[in-house]
Amino acid sequence: MAVSTVTSSTPTGRLLTFTGRRIAAVAFVLPLAYLVLAPIFWLQLEALGDGASAYEAEFGRATMPETLISTAWLACGSLAIAMVLGTLLAWSATLLPPRLRFMRILPIFPMILPLVSQVLGWIFLLSPGPGYLNAVLRRLPWWSGLTGGPVDVYSLPWIVIITGVSLTSFVYLFVSAGFQNINSELIESAHVSGSSGIGVFLRVILPIIRPQLLYGAAVALLIGLGQFTVPLLLGRTNGVRVITTEIFMALYGRQPQDPAAAAAIGSPLLVVGVAVVLIQRFLLGNSSRFVTHGGKGFRPVRRSSVLPAVFIGTYLLLSTVAPLVGLVIVALSPYWTSTVVPDALSLDNFRTLFAEPNLVDAIWTSIWVSFLAVCICLPIGFVASSLLLRAKDMPVLRGVLDVLIALPLGVPAVVFGVGFLLTYSREPFFLYGTNWVILVVYVTIMLPFTTRMHMSGMAALGDAYLEASRVCGAGPLRTNLQIVLPLLRGSVGGAAALMFVLLTHEFTASLLVRSTDVQVMGTILYDTFTNGYYPLVASIALIMTVVTFAGAALALLVGGAGTLEDL
Amino acid sequence: MSHLLVTNLHKQFAGKPPTTAIDQLSFEIEEGEFVVLLGPSGCGKTTTLRCLAGLEKADAGTITLGGRTWFDSARRVALPPEKRNIGMVFQSYALWPHMTVRRNIGYPLRARRKKGQDAARWVEEAAALVGCQNLLDRYPAQLSGGQQQRVSLARSLVSRPDLILFDEPLSNLDAKLREDVRAQLHELHRRLRFTAVFVTHDQSEALALAERVAVMREGRFEQIGTPHEVFEHPATEYVADFIGLSVRLEATRTDGITRLAGVAADGRLPAPVRHGEFVLRARPDDLRIGPTAPALPTMTTVPVSIVDKVFGGRTIDVYVRLGEQRVHARIPVDDTYGWVRGLRAGDEVVLGFRPENVRAYASDGAAIVPDEALSPLGS
Ligand SMILES: Nc1ncnc2c1ncn2[C@@H]1O[C@H](COP(=O)(O)OP(=O)(O)OP(=O)(O)O)[C@@H](O)[C@H]1O
Ligand SMILES: [Mg+2]
Repeated sequence: MAVSTVTSSTPTGRLLTFTGRRIAAVAFVLPLAYLVLAPIFWLQLEALGDGASAYEAEFGRATMPETLISTAWLACGSLAIAMVLGTLLAWSATLLPPRLRFMRILPIFPMILPLVSQVLGWIFLLSPGPGYLNAVLRRLPWWSGLTGGPVDVYSLPWIVIITGVSLTSFVYLFVSAGFQNINSELIESAHVSGSSGIGVFLRVILPIIRPQLLYGAAVALLIGLGQFTVPLLLGRTNGVRVITTEIFMALYGRQPQDPAAAAAIGSPLLVVGVAVVLIQRFLLGNSSRFVTHGGKGFRPVRRSSVLPAVFIGTYLLLSTVAPLVGLVIVALSPYWTSTVVPDALSLDNFRTLFAEPNLVDAIWTSIWVSFLAVCICLPIGFVASSLLLRAKDMPVLRGVLDVLIALPLGVPAVVFGVGFLLTYSREPFFLYGTNWVILVVYVTIMLPFTTRMHMSGMAALGDAYLEASRVCGAGPLRTNLQIVLPLLRGSVGGAAALMFVLLTHEFTASLLVRSTDVQVMGTILYDTFTNGYYPLVASIALIMTVVTFAGAALALLVGGAGTLEDL
Repeated sequence: MSHLLVTNLHKQFAGKPPTTAIDQLSFEIEEGEFVVLLGPSGCGKTTTLRCLAGLEKADAGTITLGGRTWFDSARRVALPPEKRNIGMVFQSYALWPHMTVRRNIGYPLRARRKKGQDAARWVEEAAALVGCQNLLDRYPAQLSGGQQQRVSLARSLVSRPDLILFDEPLSNLDAKLREDVRAQLHELHRRLRFTAVFVTHDQSEALALAERVAVMREGRFEQIGTPHEVFEHPATEYVADFIGLSVRLEATRTDGITRLAGVAADGRLPAPVRHGEFVLRARPDDLRIGPTAPALPTMTTVPVSIVDKVFGGRTIDVYVRLGEQRVHARIPVDDTYGWVRGLRAGDEVVLGFRPENVRAYASDGAAIVPDEALSPLGS
């Protein structure tokens, strides 16, 4: 077998191909830039219009200081709750005995349960009058004299608690990822050096996972600041206002709509969001460094016990099971009262709902638009993360792309929502009043998720598989199709699952850009809620939950088990 | 004409301060030649290999193979890896886990659009060459490290590339397996005569495999030559150190007395007398000890005292103090064994070596060429 020279028939590849790649990359980034920046641009233009008088009018309002204080309470309080619970849950998950290790994914369940469903469930349990749990609590001797309460779910503290409990899952994700990266020998050596379990946790583990803690805290803070669903559904009754609900009210609580006011009120959130994204970009450099590599993960030396399992079980019970139970009872009841009449339970509400073409349409719209958005986002995420990780020769473009991709995460959905409304109710893309606006909005808000998930998959893959393919004579296309994509199947499945779940949940941005003819499950639910017919609301929330679970399960089947853990 | 020709290759990595990974490197490789790049960690071996593969783009220089330009910074030509017709074996094997061994080995053929019966036969042949013909339908995860590396070897050979690159392919294998695969690779090259550049930091691997060894230092070739040349005549002190002449003795000649590490010595040295100050390099294996100078005839000797001795099977490692310096001598277990074993720390003995076994270097590191007749000590 002599070594023969097999010259390829193509002429020498000039560096011209680099410019070709560059043009292709720019052509990829430009539409993304439009998607992300146009809403922010029109938002600011609106806020600054008419000599920026909207700022004066809105921030001069007598109720504004209280609104700002409530917002701060909501953000900080829910952050504190989420950090403590999330870290403890992540730590507990590492202490689970081997046969209970599957419980590690339980703290992620609240993410699959739509937040509106969670909040409604809590209303049914803890509303001061007919709340089931309140009714039970009133049976206790020391509360027996009460006619309402003892818990008022419509008060600011409970808004904070419910937000905090829902944010816990996010913190749990980040901190667990941090634990995965800890080398078990570090822990063992600390134990050998005579540290106790708690000592090791405080002195070794917490300092090691500090980056993940900080990042998780930043994300939780942003979500808390921009939290809309919980205060909207719970704050109306007692007049608890936060910035996000004020934005919404400026558009949908005033006649005529006041987009300038909405934009102005949103400015602080916009500024904080953009600042956090930029600071993260420049402090930490390329976000690829953030990506966690699949390490061995560590096993604590301590003997495992059932206590962590009890803790995780309690969290699941309170965050997911309890609200679901509340939802189910109301959905099956003809009326919502503090007593449950078993005989009266029936599926009548669902029959009523499915007889309504509105609702059926909205369900289909939710599913189809979410599905399409996922299909569009997957290739975008693949290309974007390839560029971010591998286009070393285009540093400027990568920097721009990195910031663009992060912005929809930093800027709260409600603020972005106003921007979407402004952008797509004018030329050149007049999409308002069609399903396209929902699709475009969904694609935009999913950019960070699809990109980050692809990036963590690719980073874990490493360069060797790709390089091996290139030296074997395969071009970039074949390498991506035959090597990278098959090896990324898990990550792609996970990304699809996460995005589908998040989109069928979607409430905030949908509520801002919907119109009478364009409804998704979340918006129909809100309308029914404001009309006050709770059994129907509960039924819609349950349907939403089922759709979401089904989507997640399907994607898990495609992507393989362990996908959820990869999140 | 040479097969692979590299001229003035230069590569810098940005950073504070910037790292020069390849420094104006020029070399040629003949068709069918097996060249080993040898050097310590961080000297630029991998970077050189990756520039040859096209996985890294050099800042300047040219690379041509068989008259075809692969890279030329001046003409702005840079062929991507897939246009270079090469094979590469990675340290981590880099077998794609989602493909069977057969598909892994066949990939370079598919990528180069060779299909059908011929391709299938080539795959079988390549697998047979490395003794993996019965593993073809397994997945990489079902193979041992040594098997994976042999499959990886087959994959690099299968399309009969113009050049095969190896980046420390044996360093993930355990010692025994490493020697097996090394021997197999040597035999394969003897049969197939592929052109190869092999990177390693293991000198015994380099000596065993290479037809020519290039010892690298900070992005340059310090010496390039046959294993015998490099082994016997290291061109610089750096090469000498790297190739195993780890004993370093500073020599001075003053007033007709030659001192090694400050202690007066007796015998001849491989440096002409005009050199007043130089450095001697020796392998521990070439050092001997004896009770007195006459016990070590034909050797250059210097008095030392015993520090420690360590049993090593066929050899015994003796550490002695010479002036302020600790010197390591590896003594074969032969008839002097009984005497060596009886030595205790602090015993005064004599260290000796044959002058033709040590090498002398000037203070700038360049080798000093000895006179025909090795110069006597003193003048
Ligand atoms: N991507 C990179 N960015 C910056 N510096 C790099 C990069 N790759 C290599 N270097 C630097 O270039 C120099 C040469 O690296 P190279 O990997 O070629 O060394 P090597 O000889 O292969 O070492 P080893 O034996 O450890 O593999 C080193 O100083 C290294 O730090
Ligand atoms: Mg290397």
